[in-house]
Amino acid sequence: MRIPCPYCGERDAHEFSYLGDATLVRPDPAAVDAQDSALADRFHDYVYLRDNPAGAHREWWYHANGCRQWVRVTRDTRNHAIAGASLAREPGDAA
Amino acid sequence: MADRSSHDPLHDPLAGIAFDRVPPAGAYGAAGEPGVGVSTAEEPFIALAVARQGHAASVVERLRRALGVELADRPHAAIEGGTTVVGTAPGRFLVLSRSEPDLAGTLRAVLGTEAAVTEQGDGYVTFDLSGPRVPDLLAKGALVDLDPLVFRVGDAATTVIAHIGVTLWRTGETSYRLLVARSLEAAFTRFLIASGAEYGLRLENQGSGGRG
Repeated sequence: MRIPCPYCGERDAHEFSYLGDATLVRPDPAAVDAQDSALADRFHDYVYLRDNPAGAHREWWYHANGCRQWVRVTRDTRNHAIAGASLAREPGDAA
Repeated sequence: MADRSSHDPLHDPLAGIAFDRVPPAGAYGAAGEPGVGVSTAEEPFIALAVARQGHAASVVERLRRALGVELADRPHAAIEGGTTVVGTAPGRFLVLSRSEPDLAGTLRAVLGTEAAVTEQGDGYVTFDLSGPRVPDLLAKGALVDLDPLVFRVGDAATTVIAHIGVTLWRTGETSYRLLVARSLEAAFTRFLIASGAEYGLRLENQGSGGRG
């Protein structure tokens, strides 16, 4: 599999390490319902629960052996086709 | 220089060389005109400039003006006289100089608080590779397409060759420069010799054979 690094160009997946789902957002611990068990539930989901989609997946890859940047990649989990990649430092969609 | 081309070089050009010592200068592998020349003779001054958040464009502009190089924020080596600036990541530049001993100090004066500057001269060994078979040699270890048709003069890449991290760029039609962490000099030199033996390889280094 080759990953199109936005800075380096297309590189072998061996140069990267994988983190996982790039769509997770850490719950705000100072939210109004901070005392509420709902917040604990949201943290539980954030830390432990992952979807396992068959199809498009937005995920983090770290280009450890290249530019050492985090890259946001949209990959189809069924055939590894990559629809797009962007640097994590640049906000926005990968595709 | 020891001539190692006489005794069974294609079988094992590294026979008798301790694996943790830098192989000595000399001719390795196939006899005749060497297809690859390797030299670590030049030891340029090296410094790294990392732009602080939001200052990449300004750092590019300051480096361009101060060093007189054609520079952009991309993986490319801008060479002007004795100075080379290589992009290794967004807003990150390795600067090499033949003549500026206090390179880090000079860059700090140029860039002020817009970038973090660190001295790197001790950190890297500079391998200058030249000869018609260099792309064939590098192809044995690289995960990047370094064919001269697509990897043009001035193109740069930070990648892995033979499991060793390198920053390399093409300096001319048949010449490439590679930066390798100094502690991996012995291992990387062994890769070059083992892979370049079939083309014939001439190695120039400080050659004591005693450096680890």
